[in-house]
Amino acid sequence: MSELLSNLALGFGVAFSPMNVLFCLLGALVGTLVGVLPGIGTVATIAMLLPITFGLPPVGALIMLAGIYYGAQYGGSTTSVLVNIPGEATSVVTCLDGHQMARQGRAGAALAIAAIGSFFAGCVATVLVAALGAPLTSLALLFGPAEYFSLMVLGLIFAVVLAKGSVLKAIAMVMAGLLMSMVGSDLETGAGRMTFDIAELADGIGFTNIAMGVFGFAEIIRNLELPSESRDIVSSKVTGLMPTRKDLIDASGAIARGTLLGSLLGILPGGGAVIASFAAYTFEKRISKDPSKFGKGAIEGVAAPESANNAAAQTAFIPLLTLGIPPNAVMALMVGAMTIHGIVPGPQVMTKQPELFWGMIASMWIGNLMLVVINLPLVGVWVTLLRVPYRLLFPSIIVFCCIGIYSINNAPTDVMISAMYGVVGYWLIKHDFEAAPMLLGFVLGPLMEENLRRAMLIARGDATVFFTRPISGGLLAVAIVLLILAVLPMIRKRREEVFVE
Amino acid sequence: MAEDVQPSRNEPHVAEPLTDRRKGGIIITAVALVLVLATFYVSSPTVPRVMAILVAAVGVGVIAGWVPIRAPQDFYGGLALVLLSTFAIIASAELPGQRGFAFGPGTAPRLFAIILAALGLAITLTGVFAAGPRIEKYKIRGPALVIIGISLFAALIRPFGLIIATYLAFMVSITGSKEMRWVESAIAAAAMTLGCVLLFVYLLNLPFQLWPPSNALQLFFNQFADLFKNVFLLLQKFVPGLK
Repeated sequence: MSELLSNLALGFGVAFSPMNVLFCLLGALVGTLVGVLPGIGTVATIAMLLPITFGLPPVGALIMLAGIYYGAQYGGSTTSVLVNIPGEATSVVTCLDGHQMARQGRAGAALAIAAIGSFFAGCVATVLVAALGAPLTSLALLFGPAEYFSLMVLGLIFAVVLAKGSVLKAIAMVMAGLLMSMVGSDLETGAGRMTFDIAELADGIGFTNIAMGVFGFAEIIRNLELPSESRDIVSSKVTGLMPTRKDLIDASGAIARGTLLGSLLGILPGGGAVIASFAAYTFEKRISKDPSKFGKGAIEGVAAPESANNAAAQTAFIPLLTLGIPPNAVMALMVGAMTIHGIVPGPQVMTKQPELFWGMIASMWIGNLMLVVINLPLVGVWVTLLRVPYRLLFPSIIVFCCIGIYSINNAPTDVMISAMYGVVGYWLIKHDFEAAPMLLGFVLGPLMEENLRRAMLIARGDATVFFTRPISGGLLAVAIVLLILAVLPMIRKRREEVFVE
Repeated sequence: MAEDVQPSRNEPHVAEPLTDRRKGGIIITAVALVLVLATFYVSSPTVPRVMAILVAAVGVGVIAGWVPIRAPQDFYGGLALVLLSTFAIIASAELPGQRGFAFGPGTAPRLFAIILAALGLAITLTGVFAAGPRIEKYKIRGPALVIIGISLFAALIRPFGLIIATYLAFMVSITGSKEMRWVESAIAAAAMTLGCVLLFVYLLNLPFQLWPPSNALQLFFNQFADLFKNVFLLLQKFVPGLK
């Protein structure tokens, strides 16, 4: 316990340095700014804003990224409440009651309760991340290559099972991502693989290029062909920001339950935050004395999913920081960012760079505080931003992305590769493939291959090693069971129901 | 993205219009035939060649109308993945494989490519046996203009500097929207350019060239000269006798 406190103290010491607080504030601010824009999800926001963190020192960059992440999450909720267009999957449920509240003139209360719920969830989850960090890291040290490989398989299977739509197609996307990650020089021999001797491909396909292409450009192209939206912006001025005493009392239970549910689901690999917000909403509706008020502006219907998705968003850092395995697409982007700064995510981060590890954890809490501080007074600004028509918004996003991609390596080819992936992403949307599993496969690819090769070498070419070593076998068994459950028709039907609601 | 309603898989099967089928079949066959040709340039061609020929045969079957396609999204999506994995196998054909207990650089790409091919095949088969939604029509104009705008940025940023590249990329990509208005766009483009210069150059201190240098045109054309040289070098490998 005392160790935990001293670690947290170290973290807060790092995070509270004026520069880092500034980075955190800036991150949360621009994260919200971009996250508020309708049609741009968390992943796209982070992909777009990644380049602006590259010039900073590693600790500052990661703190800023974490700020961007929370900002993007919260920005999505703001859009849900005010315009009824969910910026991303996690805020879909927030639309249901949040927008109703806004129409009844309680937009202020809805936004405030979302911020307060998120802050509470963030506080709890921060402590949880700090507490679970050390034991999980020591567990990670027991892992050999075979266990790592199996763990990554499990993580990918989780992502596949929790993705919407066809399991088969999601697995195929993971494979496509793995395959794309092999372009470039081989880790061990340095031989160029699938590069056709093109110098620009020698280092592989840049992962920001793919992310920006399939999440940024493809979404924009896609949105262009949708009929011009009639945005239902809450026209009355947003007043009465503070929720009433009754609102707070009504929401407090929902916030606590949402936080609990979210923290648990967030640790699990694969789209935890989405599931968490859906599960929390459904749970609240089920235990409520008066379920009929849900969908008509129930404050619990905003508080529970918002707390849950924020808690999950934060505990999703646990597998990344302790095991080095990104559980979802956002964390995959974090890995990309860390690698660019020369940090290999994993158990060694905590022992070798404690100020980075604990600084980041502490900055999570600060980030959540920032959200409350900046968002409540700035609601008016976001409303104005939401009034900017899409026809002016999309070219701005495009040039912003272009400059961002170019600035990473000063390479025009990177911009072209992104454009190509934009077309690929458009094709994926048309054929109902999901891009997130592909990105996850792409990021995990090199790690998986490395561990696969090492495990096979140590086991002298015996592939059964993955099943005979107890931990590895256990992980694979869980993966297989999950996969079977997911393809069983009955459960698949239930899964679709959850997403359709 | 969970907000899209899941397309019901139980809808009655609607026959695919002839033109769609022709187009899809021709594209699949053409790509497969190119890959068959490509296998003649690698040392271990058998597996990818067989795969490509099979896909080409399926493509011909589609054109002729012998294949009942119940879910075009899955059918063509799966076939495209099979083609992608065939391409990957060809591209990694020259890499050494397993040596003793150790994986060679080529082992993992081929392993994953084969798994992907199997999955692609399975998806294609679901497209034959289970009814599913049609492929939404591809739009050409909007996406093309956006991509041209992005490419323009890539081509202009080095020789002409940030300001011109940003302004032109904005103006071209905005024409991708049908609701675009000229005056409004010109003003918005200027505002966005100014904003980007302030953010990236002055606030973030990134080393950007702002205005075109005196030899801008020369730099601009040199880029293309380099590009053509690289394409030519690549072609030389595949087309015998090209000097």
